[in-house]
Amino acid sequence: MKAFFASVEEVFREASARWTLLAYFALSSLFILMFALAVNLDIVDGALAGARLFGKTVVLGGEKVDMDRLVLGFETGFSGFLYMLGTFLALFATAHLVPRLQEKGTIDLYLSRPVGRTKLLLSRYCGGLLLAAANLLYLFGAIWLIVVWKTGIAHPRFFLGGVVILFGIAAMLAFAFLIGVVTSSTAVSLMVTYAIFLFAALLSAREKIAAAVSSEWSAGLIRALYWIFPKTAELGRATVALVSGGETFQRFGSIDKLAVFGSTGLFGLVALGLAAWRFSRKDF
Amino acid sequence: MIAAEGLRKVYSARFGTRKVRALDGIDLSVGAGEVFGLLGPNGAGKTTTVKILLGLTRPTDGAAQLFGIPVADPKSRQRVGYLPEGHRFPGYLSARQTLSIFGRMSGMERSTLKARIPELLKRVGLSDWIDVKVKKFSKGMTQRLGLAAALVHDPEVLLLDEPTDGVDPVGRREIRDLLREEASRGRAILLNSHLLSEIELTCDRVAVLRKGKVAAQGRIADLTAQGSRYRMAVSPVDESLLAAFRASGAGVERVNGHLVLTTRDLEHLNALVDTARARGGVLSELSPVRSSLEDVFVDLVRTGEEKEEENVR
Repeated sequence: MKAFFASVEEVFREASARWTLLAYFALSSLFILMFALAVNLDIVDGALAGARLFGKTVVLGGEKVDMDRLVLGFETGFSGFLYMLGTFLALFATAHLVPRLQEKGTIDLYLSRPVGRTKLLLSRYCGGLLLAAANLLYLFGAIWLIVVWKTGIAHPRFFLGGVVILFGIAAMLAFAFLIGVVTSSTAVSLMVTYAIFLFAALLSAREKIAAAVSSEWSAGLIRALYWIFPKTAELGRATVALVSGGETFQRFGSIDKLAVFGSTGLFGLVALGLAAWRFSRKDF
Repeated sequence: MIAAEGLRKVYSARFGTRKVRALDGIDLSVGAGEVFGLLGPNGAGKTTTVKILLGLTRPTDGAAQLFGIPVADPKSRQRVGYLPEGHRFPGYLSARQTLSIFGRMSGMERSTLKARIPELLKRVGLSDWIDVKVKKFSKGMTQRLGLAAALVHDPEVLLLDEPTDGVDPVGRREIRDLLREEASRGRAILLNSHLLSEIELTCDRVAVLRKGKVAAQGRIADLTAQGSRYRMAVSPVDESLLAAFRASGAGVERVNGHLVLTTRDLEHLNALVDTARARGGVLSELSPVRSSLEDVFVDLVRTGEEKEEENVR
């Protein structure tokens, strides 16, 4: 395990030394700052002051809205946005981990140590995932604290969104690693992974697409691809549903969890397995 | 400690349409306390051999072992230190961090490394640079750091690819001394270098590779000895002595005040010594004439090329 942790530590040292991590946290900080400024606007302050005076309701568009539900609505909207932002930033900050490892003059240094190739690859994967988790915690934690500071209302379920996002990142990062092992290119790895993320989201409307295509064969292919690829759109919906609670949360009950989480998890596992298999058989 | 038998490696070009034979049946062994040099022109298969020994590349055929463990098993690298050619340590790490990470990857404890790292950096002359980022290092300094990284876990086998590349003459001598010191501690060292003078000064045995095959292998003294040629310093030398030598069937040349004698065998050489002494000659030197390793290397490579040309004709 010493070798494993040394490799994970190196991922963090690399990340802290490179501009990617700085950009990763800077973008996240910018988002947090924008959010902090938004909740500090006079109109928000006024509404909140009214809510404190007249009980836990605020008037929005002539309608009285429960303060607790309003905050939850904010958090739900943000969790959906963070799903996209968090996933894209995490992939951008970690997709280089394999291509850089495989560079000539670098890979020899690592593989000449008594560490199995699969273990080495997995340590980089875990390092990348921990990095993404740290950033998600920073994003979710900061926004949650701002909301608590401003409203005094705390919804711990907001963090459930972070867990689902991390799950999605884990599957997509495994795929980015597979492409990284095969092509040794960060750019290709990122492009293909983002393309799959967006394409898989489109496939959530598989039935509509299948109905629009001319042949049965194409319709079958669309449905098959839906089951092969991660359920990126559904994961986004699951994030929102888990954070929102109430009626929206009940919609989470209607999500086919096995299909969404099971097939996405399987996609990630297969991608990681293939990456490890290819990496362990590669000549350097 | 290092053993390879019948190593063959065929690289396939894209889609397997073209095959390149990098190694064609290499046998070698290196024992404890021995410094073994691997020589050969570019593309001879030196780096491929080292990469197979480290499990970086798989052989198409044949077997290699370190400490009796097949090289495919990561455990075989537990006590191996490697310095690759053109290595690139992460520039964002300091020398201390580099050795700490690679030391732990070789199974060392943090607490042990705390004392070992400063000691090792002192040994390679990088004490003052211990907390400086590697990206600020010159090529020679990076090479020294590479050597420290190869030695960090006190390995019993060292595989070094061009260890003195980019190092100044004083540094080269220091590295040579360090390698001899490691060999005297029983470490087996495999040295891969283009600098034949370095190999000649450091190695006990060498193998010359040519197009994936061992063209010659043995002790440097044996490879460079020119069979029956000897250098003799004797005085006085007069024409009658030379005539007597020639009369016995010996070849005689005068070179820079010495005689270079070509004899049939050792008995013949002894007879020539007797003749010189019987004539009142005083011997001050008698030694076999040797070629430089470079001469041997160039001869082996050229001979191989000429043979190939003949075969083509």
